[in-house]
Amino acid sequence: MKTWNFRFENEILRNKNIYMENKFDLAILGGGPAGYVAAERAGDRGLKVVLFEKSDIGGICLNEGCIPTKTLLYSAKLYHNALNAGRYGVSAEGITFDFQKMMARKNKVVKKLVLGVAAKMKQNNVLVVKGEAYIENRTANGIRIRVDETEFLAVNLLICTGSETFVPKIPGLEASGDIILTSREALTLSEVPDSLIIIGGGVIGIEFASLFNSLGSKVMVIEMLDEILPGMDRELTTMAREIFSKKGIEFNLSSQITRVNGNEAIFEKDGKSFSVKADKILVSVGRVPVTIGFGLENIGVELIRGGIKVNDRMRTNIPNVFAAGDVTGFSMLAHTASREGEVVVNNLTGGNDRMRYNAVPGVVYSNPEISGTGLTEEAAREKKIDYRVAKLPMTFAGRFIAENEGETGLCKVIVGARNQEVLGVHILGNPSSELIYGACMAIEAEMTLSELREIIFPHPTVSEILRETFFAF
Amino acid sequence: MESCIISEIRKKKGDKVTKGEILFIYETDKATFEEEAPANGILLDFFFSEGDEVPVFTNVCVIGSEGESAEEFRPGSDSVKQDSVNETAKPESVMTEAETGISSGSPFSSDIPAGINSPASPRARMIADKSGDSLSGLKGTGPGGRIIERDVRSAGGRVKHTPLARKLIRENPSLHANSGTGLAGSVRGLDLILDQQPGAEEFRIKPLTNMRKLIAKAMYGSLQNSAQLTHHLGADARRITELRRKVKKAMESGSSSDITLNDMICFGTIKALKEYPQVNAHFMGDSMKYFSGVHLAVAVDTDRGLMVPVVRNADALSITELSANIKELVSACRKGSIDPDLLSAEAASFTVSNLGSYGVEIFTPVINLPQVAILGVNTIVLRPKDLGEGIIGFVPYLGLSLTYDHRAIDGGEATRFLKRIATEIENLEF
Repeated sequence: MKTWNFRFENEILRNKNIYMENKFDLAILGGGPAGYVAAERAGDRGLKVVLFEKSDIGGICLNEGCIPTKTLLYSAKLYHNALNAGRYGVSAEGITFDFQKMMARKNKVVKKLVLGVAAKMKQNNVLVVKGEAYIENRTANGIRIRVDETEFLAVNLLICTGSETFVPKIPGLEASGDIILTSREALTLSEVPDSLIIIGGGVIGIEFASLFNSLGSKVMVIEMLDEILPGMDRELTTMAREIFSKKGIEFNLSSQITRVNGNEAIFEKDGKSFSVKADKILVSVGRVPVTIGFGLENIGVELIRGGIKVNDRMRTNIPNVFAAGDVTGFSMLAHTASREGEVVVNNLTGGNDRMRYNAVPGVVYSNPEISGTGLTEEAAREKKIDYRVAKLPMTFAGRFIAENEGETGLCKVIVGARNQEVLGVHILGNPSSELIYGACMAIEAEMTLSELREIIFPHPTVSEILRETFFAF
Repeated sequence: MESCIISEIRKKKGDKVTKGEILFIYETDKATFEEEAPANGILLDFFFSEGDEVPVFTNVCVIGSEGESAEEFRPGSDSVKQDSVNETAKPESVMTEAETGISSGSPFSSDIPAGINSPASPRARMIADKSGDSLSGLKGTGPGGRIIERDVRSAGGRVKHTPLARKLIRENPSLHANSGTGLAGSVRGLDLILDQQPGAEEFRIKPLTNMRKLIAKAMYGSLQNSAQLTHHLGADARRITELRRKVKKAMESGSSSDITLNDMICFGTIKALKEYPQVNAHFMGDSMKYFSGVHLAVAVDTDRGLMVPVVRNADALSITELSANIKELVSACRKGSIDPDLLSAEAASFTVSNLGSYGVEIFTPVINLPQVAILGVNTIVLRPKDLGEGIIGFVPYLGLSLTYDHRAIDGGEATRFLKRIATEIENLEF
């Protein structure tokens, strides 16, 4: 394997044009889960790779998304479990938490992981350039990318510039200053707000609702649609909402925010206007692809619905230009992004790989967790697929009862009516996030109930609920 | 490929043959092959005659020692032994084609076992069977997309199928995949497409009938050896549709025979031909042959193919006689009792081909050389027409397509002739 030894220090960049002599096989814009995974795989296969990142490597996921929230959610879960230890015959008194210590630990975890990614880049001979990259143009010789005064030339370009929080135009929102949070600010709070209004009941909104609810905040979720967590199986989201309600989270569905005045939010519901107040207001109505500010227009890449248009090999309309991750605007999940990045590298290195979206897992890391993959029942109905459903309460798994005193949940499996191939699996209950991948494998491998029933599951585990449900058809 | 035709037999029963001598010659769709004797001996029997169509893997003849019986090798006998090459003590049977690979261009597939869906050469199957590979999902690069040895070898092993894909194929063996889009290229249910029926032959070779050969030769010859082009023009069909209505009415009272629109058109055409002798002619290369009478040929669609019988001296006939003549000829053609002399292109001076009853709106008939023109009759459609006094109405319109040989006739003449036919049709009387 051909390798290049680069010095990673940024001083090297002072020597202008040094990289013009060495054309890169692959330039990657953005060091998130799409970018760094693609860089790692490509470097490992001997491609000469340069990765541009304007902020910290790891992207939103590692620095401001998946990892920090999960770290905090785990602290919150421990606290919650300690408070409820009595249910399990364990008594603990004077239980408190130190939010700043939680935050400090979160920062430590993030730092460790960022360093880990940086080490992987080095290990795979990926040149990481910190700075704002700008696509100059596409020449017969390659694609020209500039960072400050230094120019780079690459045969292939992978764009994975990710997404950013979408802040809707709500009157009074901007003027409300520090009271308004996005997920980024919420992860840098120094104390737990006594009360919190969350605008938007999607995955991010619900995870923060669960987090601050566990830590004692009075949380209200205002959602425009008639149910939280759109896109997930409705039977589970309705059930989850009822569980969250019991824990004290207040929900206002089919509600439209009309105005924000400082810490007052005004919304309309059923034609009536309501006013609610809280210490902080978190805006989490969605994220939008980042497609401007880095010269995308200079090479004529086509967009669709705000994201970069790609085919199932993640190719854009421009030869040698690829896109992966949130910038494509449709899956917006870290694990989708990584796989999309891998599809690009696989195709660049002689493979024949296509992106498939029929078994992408989706997890809400609330307490309890909600996990799903494949078709929801609503989607199956909408696509007019002839399907069959089996569902069992999570309490059919002994381990679940043992570890989830007083809790409930649901496992739902959807199969094709004719051939009994698994189309979708949806689980509400802990730790569904850790077992949903099994369902992804079943869907990807197009296993049918007859094969799945022959698989041995470890006993006793919560995962056995899947096996039980396979036999419930 | 299911069979081939034995085109020539070089050795007959009882002949002494030496290894390498040519026993017989057979034809496939692609080429002609010589079958050499695989061993020395006596040709004990030859089971087929020249021209026979022989299914593949059927014994054609047997070589053995003097006095041996060849009966056990006879196709159709209970204990047919096949291909006992290398057993010199026993008579050798010579089969029509074993595995020839791709060089011969005819990797024959014999009996495609049920459940295996892709057309594949026996050798490809054998290799696949040995390695436990599935042929489904392989793309064939052989003739007609047939899977051949190199396809199996280049696939480098088994094409993985998901359990769902396997189940679907089990239920419907005519499903197969050209490529897999699943995990590591495995074939998913979505990748499966419906192929032809399992075991259904991809194609079949049948020698041309003599009649087909004649048609082929005449039609190809016509297009190769003349300068033909077609003019399209139409006639107001109100007159003939009205006449036809009257004929039908008269038939009810038994006072008329069944004079069809085609009869009327032919009648009008004959009249026009009388006015335009240069069309009622043959082009002879360095001379023209003008006919005194009109010998009108009509194209007839039969089970065996196109026949074009002629009504000799049609200009001497009344429409009733013409009608009766045409009916008789058509019937004779369809029964196969037509006098071959009446089918010769030389016997006719002009041809009418009527596709109107099939709904054809426009076509370019091919001249029956050495005739110089042919009239194509199209279906009747409604067309707007200025009926005078500011009235535009829809009238039945008969499309006429005249193909003529520009070597013999010029465009002006052809057009005038065609217009004349239209005029005759528009003012037909009988």
